[in-house]
Amino acid sequence: MKNVDIERLKGIVGEKNIKYNEADLYIYGSDASVHQAMPSVVLKPTTIEQIQEIMRYANSELIPVIPRGAASGMTGQAVPIEGGIILDMKQMNEILEINLEDIYCRVQPGVVDDDLNKVLKSYGVFYPVAPASSRIATIGGEIANNASGVRSVKYGAVRDSVLGMKVVMANGDLLNLGAKTRVEASGYQLDRLMVGSEGTLGIVVEATLKFVPIPKFRCLGVAKFNTLDEAGNTISAIMSSGAQPSMVELMDNVAITAVNKAQNLGLPDVEAVLLFEADGMVKEAVDYEIDKIKKICEKNNGFGIELSYDAKERTRIFLGRKKLFPSLSKYKEGYACTALADDMAVPYSKMAETARKIHEIADRNNVIMSAYGHCGSGCMHTKILMNPTKKSQWNDARKAISEIYEHVQSVNGTTSAEHGIGLSKAPAFKKEKFDSLNAMRAIKKALDPNNILNPLKMQDAPDDWVTATKLRYTVES
Amino acid sequence: MKFKRLEKWRDDLNICIRCGYCYEQCHLYKVTSWETDTPRSKLILLYGMINGEIEPSEYIANKIFECFYCKRCDTNCSAGVSITEIFTDARADFIDAGFDVDGTTSKTNDDLCSRCGTCVYICKHEARSIDKENKKILIDKAKCQSCGCCEAACPSSAAYIVDGWEVSEDEMSEKVTKFLKGVVV
Ligand SMILES: Cc1cc2nc3c(=O)[nH]c(=O)nc-3n(C[C@H](O)[C@H](O)[C@H](O)COP(=O)(O)OP(=O)(O)OC[C@H]3O[C@@H](n4cnc5c(N)ncnc54)[C@H](O)[C@@H]3O)c2cc1C
Repeated sequence: MKNVDIERLKGIVGEKNIKYNEADLYIYGSDASVHQAMPSVVLKPTTIEQIQEIMRYANSELIPVIPRGAASGMTGQAVPIEGGIILDMKQMNEILEINLEDIYCRVQPGVVDDDLNKVLKSYGVFYPVAPASSRIATIGGEIANNASGVRSVKYGAVRDSVLGMKVVMANGDLLNLGAKTRVEASGYQLDRLMVGSEGTLGIVVEATLKFVPIPKFRCLGVAKFNTLDEAGNTISAIMSSGAQPSMVELMDNVAITAVNKAQNLGLPDVEAVLLFEADGMVKEAVDYEIDKIKKICEKNNGFGIELSYDAKERTRIFLGRKKLFPSLSKYKEGYACTALADDMAVPYSKMAETARKIHEIADRNNVIMSAYGHCGSGCMHTKILMNPTKKSQWNDARKAISEIYEHVQSVNGTTSAEHGIGLSKAPAFKKEKFDSLNAMRAIKKALDPNNILNPLKMQDAPDDWVTATKLRYTVES
Repeated sequence: MKFKRLEKWRDDLNICIRCGYCYEQCHLYKVTSWETDTPRSKLILLYGMINGEIEPSEYIANKIFECFYCKRCDTNCSAGVSITEIFTDARADFIDAGFDVDGTTSKTNDDLCSRCGTCVYICKHEARSIDKENKKILIDKAKCQSCGCCEAACPSSAAYIVDGWEVSEDEMSEKVTKFLKGVVV
């Protein structure tokens, strides 16, 4: 672990904004992934100047710095693999400007997604990224992960909502990236480079985001299916029909059972359900989309289709999906839901095949997996359900995961749709992007020559994710 | 330290996925704005303790005794972990191990207390009792849920909840004002 000059750091952030007690460091070593590692110190900066000063100090002393939002990341992105300074960004949580005329807002990175939307709602607009974790995820974390969510099928991922940002670089320089305009062709799109960079290239200290009007009408539909294949084929049929849903979510039987056990929501016990939504300013337009999607579901043997325009009812129906990931741990006694192999994207035409493959691979490797996700945007979620205290299960998981990614790559899919690479997905990512790794390393080297910003992640992460850090679970030897 | 009661929560501590859904509504966290005061963090500490990765300490014990039992964390935890029940069992284990910390639990100012017993009858968590021999109010800190009923009911203003966990009232109001200013354009 790196030695840090506590007194000097106290001088920068103040006595109240620093923690270095062993218990506090233990807490900050963890996120929603399977990884854990101790930082050397935790700082809670409140100004851009403080962050610049911290970076200048860390850069001269070669101390790793890991920015951290809500630590809801699932691949160990915010886990300090080599120790160093954790920058807890949640204190910088002001909404700085809402500019209705020019259609953007400026926010500090620690603003929570739902909090931003609560405020935007009073202006009749919303920031549409909507990851399932929107109640906790910070804007900084979303940008660094290029998060997306249930409505990305219509409104895109974070990269489509970011107009610009202020970033503190490894040497402490402050850069203004992007613009306040809808389009920009002024050279390298460095703001885009920061999106998805997982804290390895710079610290996002302010973001300019665009927003869109809240549609007057939203209709949510639920269709049941007797086979996962039929549900998978329906997704592909909906998307290639030219329909414009604002959401298409899949839940397979493992997911349905888990949510019913954990939440007691009484979802139908079928092989799969599709949740679909259309939104718009005119009811007829929404009806048109919904009717089109409904017919496609029926054509693919979807049945028991229910539709709801009512906001409360929609929230109730959607709650199961929103709480799905953590609920998966309730599927089987003694099993826990681990954030592994969790968010690949595949072309629409390969959805059904991929969902089937996921279950085949799980069965073969003594783990349980679920196929669900924001399938309208091509994202297929899985989680590995296993007994995390058994060593053999980690070998099973390792094998299952490598088979899954082999399949994903064989159908031209990609390793991560939204949760990022961090540590646990790095091996598959390195295989997929083998021809661009050198370019990525060159960019990293140019912007962070001393390799202090969130080191050993993504292209630089260890080859075996299981041993990359201590696991957050205690495993019997 | 023995984890007589905590031990039974081992599986639950495994299924907590550390998503953080529990903490955006935790008012203790909202005031201190340190992740270390969140329910998620407390579970992480307890997990580390029962697995021998971190030593139980007064610092950790105090954190576990800091909770107002509003139970929003329980409601928001979609893995269905009974977070506050785990805290109560952990507290009892800490007490057995000789840790004497207060956290946010209620106290009695013996000089002001008239031993009327109102607080004992009002406490729905059965955390208060009268020690007749020593003529004193006893508080079971494992059971106290810091609801404040004793403080509100005490005719002598003797029962009280410790205020200001490192944050003064002024600072608290400054934080709220700052946030509101940020959102009013
Ligand atoms: C239950 C659950 C559901 C989820 N659902 C979704 C979903 O639907 N869609 C989705 O996309 N994700 C989802 N996620 C993953 C995660 O919530 C998102 O990726 C989110 O964007 C992470 O935000 P965070 O604030 O928690 O970031 P953290 O986990 O704290 O950090 C993530 C990465 O961002 C970096 N970072 C954080 N702040 C900054 C900053 N200011 N500047 C530079 N780098 C920074 C960190 O260094 C780290 O590399 C889910 C997670 C959970 C636990």
